[in-house]
Amino acid sequence: MGWMEKNLRKLFDAPRKHFEPGGRLGKLGPLFEAIEDVFFFPAEATQHRPLVRDSLDLKRFMSSVLVALIPPLLFGIYNTGYQSRLASEMSAAFMPSFMTGLGIVLPIILVSYAVGLFWELLFAAIRKHPISEGFLVTGLLFPLTLPPTIPLWQVAAGITFGVVIGKEVFGGTGRNLFNPALTARAFVFFAYPAQMSGDPVWVAVKQKASQAVDAVTGPTPLAVTELQAPFNSIQEMLTDQGYTFSTLFWGHYPGTIGGTSALCSLLGALLLIILGIASYRTILGAVAGLLATGFLLNLAASPGTLPWFSVNPFYHLVAGGFAFGAAYMATDPVTAPGTDRAKWIYGFLIGALTVLIRVVNPAFPEGVMLAILFMNMFAPLLEYTEIRLRVKKRIPHV
Amino acid sequence: MKHTSAQISCGLKIAGCPENAVDSAPEPKTVASAPERIALLKARLLKSKGDRVNIGTPLYEDKQNTDILFAAPGAGTIEDIVYGPRRVIREIVIRLDKEQTAEAFTPYPAEKLAGITPGALTEILLKSGVWPLLRDIVYRKVADPGQSPAAIWVAATNQDPFHPPPDTWLQSPQDRRFFQTGIKALEILSSRVFVCCAADTGTGDAQIENRITHRVLRGYPFDDPAVVHYHVKTRPEDNHAWFVNGQDVRLIGEFLETGRFPVRRTVAVSGQNVPGRYRHTRMGAPLGILADPGEDSGRRWIAGGLFRGYSSGPDFHLGLYETAVNIIEESGKREMLGFMRPGWNKPTCSKTFLSVFNPRPLAVDADMHGSGRACVNCGSCTRACPVDILPQFTYKCIRAGEIEEALSHGMLDCVECGLCSYVCPSKIELCQTFQETKQAYFRQRI
Repeated sequence: MGWMEKNLRKLFDAPRKHFEPGGRLGKLGPLFEAIEDVFFFPAEATQHRPLVRDSLDLKRFMSSVLVALIPPLLFGIYNTGYQSRLASEMSAAFMPSFMTGLGIVLPIILVSYAVGLFWELLFAAIRKHPISEGFLVTGLLFPLTLPPTIPLWQVAAGITFGVVIGKEVFGGTGRNLFNPALTARAFVFFAYPAQMSGDPVWVAVKQKASQAVDAVTGPTPLAVTELQAPFNSIQEMLTDQGYTFSTLFWGHYPGTIGGTSALCSLLGALLLIILGIASYRTILGAVAGLLATGFLLNLAASPGTLPWFSVNPFYHLVAGGFAFGAAYMATDPVTAPGTDRAKWIYGFLIGALTVLIRVVNPAFPEGVMLAILFMNMFAPLLEYTEIRLRVKKRIPHV
Repeated sequence: MKHTSAQISCGLKIAGCPENAVDSAPEPKTVASAPERIALLKARLLKSKGDRVNIGTPLYEDKQNTDILFAAPGAGTIEDIVYGPRRVIREIVIRLDKEQTAEAFTPYPAEKLAGITPGALTEILLKSGVWPLLRDIVYRKVADPGQSPAAIWVAATNQDPFHPPPDTWLQSPQDRRFFQTGIKALEILSSRVFVCCAADTGTGDAQIENRITHRVLRGYPFDDPAVVHYHVKTRPEDNHAWFVNGQDVRLIGEFLETGRFPVRRTVAVSGQNVPGRYRHTRMGAPLGILADPGEDSGRRWIAGGLFRGYSSGPDFHLGLYETAVNIIEESGKREMLGFMRPGWNKPTCSKTFLSVFNPRPLAVDADMHGSGRACVNCGSCTRACPVDILPQFTYKCIRAGEIEEALSHGMLDCVECGLCSYVCPSKIELCQTFQETKQAYFRQRI
């Protein structure tokens, strides 16, 4: 360890002078600093009171989210490979599936990180501020919400939109109104609908067996409605298509890379709550909102309504990207309200809107992305309202 | 009674609490008065370098209110006047004579106190330089003698790690008598005198125990008089209150009983490489006589508690209010992959390190543990704030120049405890900003 540390130290000390202000690569200073800070934790002395500070910093805060993303990431890689090999009529054993999945997913993640980092760095260099760690989360969240067949140039276009329009035009990390990863996804969703929706995009089938696609890929669970289910038979429809509750929970079905498994998102959410990084209020609020709205719509279900009115609300929990969105996207502290009661309301409305969009609007089989973006927009209002209520309770200093 | 670690409201366990043994520090050769450490004070010197002073001789006065005098804490010759940036007076150093002569004031023992009016008592305390021990609860500056406070709070304990508990400075019957006389004097100044004390701390005396009006749970900063006052007050008229440290009440009593400016101090010493203990010394003593940590490199001396204290050094002297000296490490060593370590030994209020399972109290150091970033609205500061401020929003109001909005958020209720800055993962100087803004607001108002 000591030997490694010494040599690593040398590796950074030798080129340092070029990256300092006025050096040949002075503009790349933030990049050098960011990389060095990853390997050698900065140790500035305290200047102002209090002269002691907590060990937690934003780097660890954000890397905790990355750790929480490991279950959906690993499962997503495996599932992508598994679905692909299944559709290509190849053996779907664990290791080959994982490797195939890695071959499909890794380029998407790398493009997302590389292009995102480029923009991040450009703005950091121009604005002369350090690179924020929040980007590490955005760069991984975005690919996990994409279908595995997404063309890489669309990944690049998406993350560009997400970082530049979703975040940097507002002034960078901490000032953005919308979750950058979701903004990126929304851009791709509306700009390139052919590659983001429809039945065949969810399985990355190898070319040689592409005639097998139609045989294997059906509609995604939330698109089952397009099959015109008769009244009260939505669950049977889902089961017919192979989407039992447990399949949806475990995530063994074609879908976005990281969003299919409710279990993995649950694990991640639990970790984030235990670590105190994500607010349990937002997550529980979202679950409550989803179930409550689901039950209400059950009551309104009749043969004349759309088929999803009558589904057991718990299906909403495990179907589609809700679990992933509620665990990782809704809990983004920057775009969620910062006060406790507002978080409950924010979460509840995300859950409610998700169900409403899914059930009532046949144009969008999935609703969680739009629900979160919509509530992002209302987060400042919720925050403002709670602050006003709190201020009213204070004894003023006249 | 033996403490093992500090009690901090956010759950931090800090190592190094002194043993409950009290001894006397060596006699200092110099003492000093430090006007820089007194909030919002603009000092005008009344003596110059080379002048001879007695204990209690006025050294400087408040420019804004020349009635407020600050007395010399020792008898001897003014050896040096140390200036800081913008000619702020940092220290007035007095080289002590062998013979400690004191200015003589009329003594007012407890029985004589009864007939004194508040105005007369104020006059007596102002003339003798004892008045500055009374402080304003909002700005933490010297109390304004022209105003009458809604209440006077006495802080029997101070859980900012690590301060001497009452039984270390109330040892003899005489100490207790002085303390009682001090309380009586405060009761002349205000009909509402409250004594707050940490829940698990004894005073070692039944009569003093009876004086305690508020017992406070949850540790620092909840036993701070300003925090207790915030939770007790019910109307805007209550905002304006004063507070006094418990030790300073004893000093006020000593002054009234003896007619001499009191200089005794009991100081908690703790930290790296020094035996943690409580030591009797004098007001304005140099820090170097209190502790000797050996080789001095990579150490930070903090006078006045880990959270509220100032950076200091062995050659600097204790300020008027400081009764704690901490010596902690300032390594400056960049730890390899530091943010990924499990952190069994890293002190934290968060739950992101393994140290949440570590039952032992942990050593703190003077590193930032990260570099400055934008606020991500994580809400850690809100959870830490003892007076229900939303520091992240109040901070943004201040940065945007919306002082009115910041005031409505309760900026003036801020007790400057420092917990918001402590917990901030983006390492934003919240407490510093609030303190500076409060002071700027005060200066603009007058």
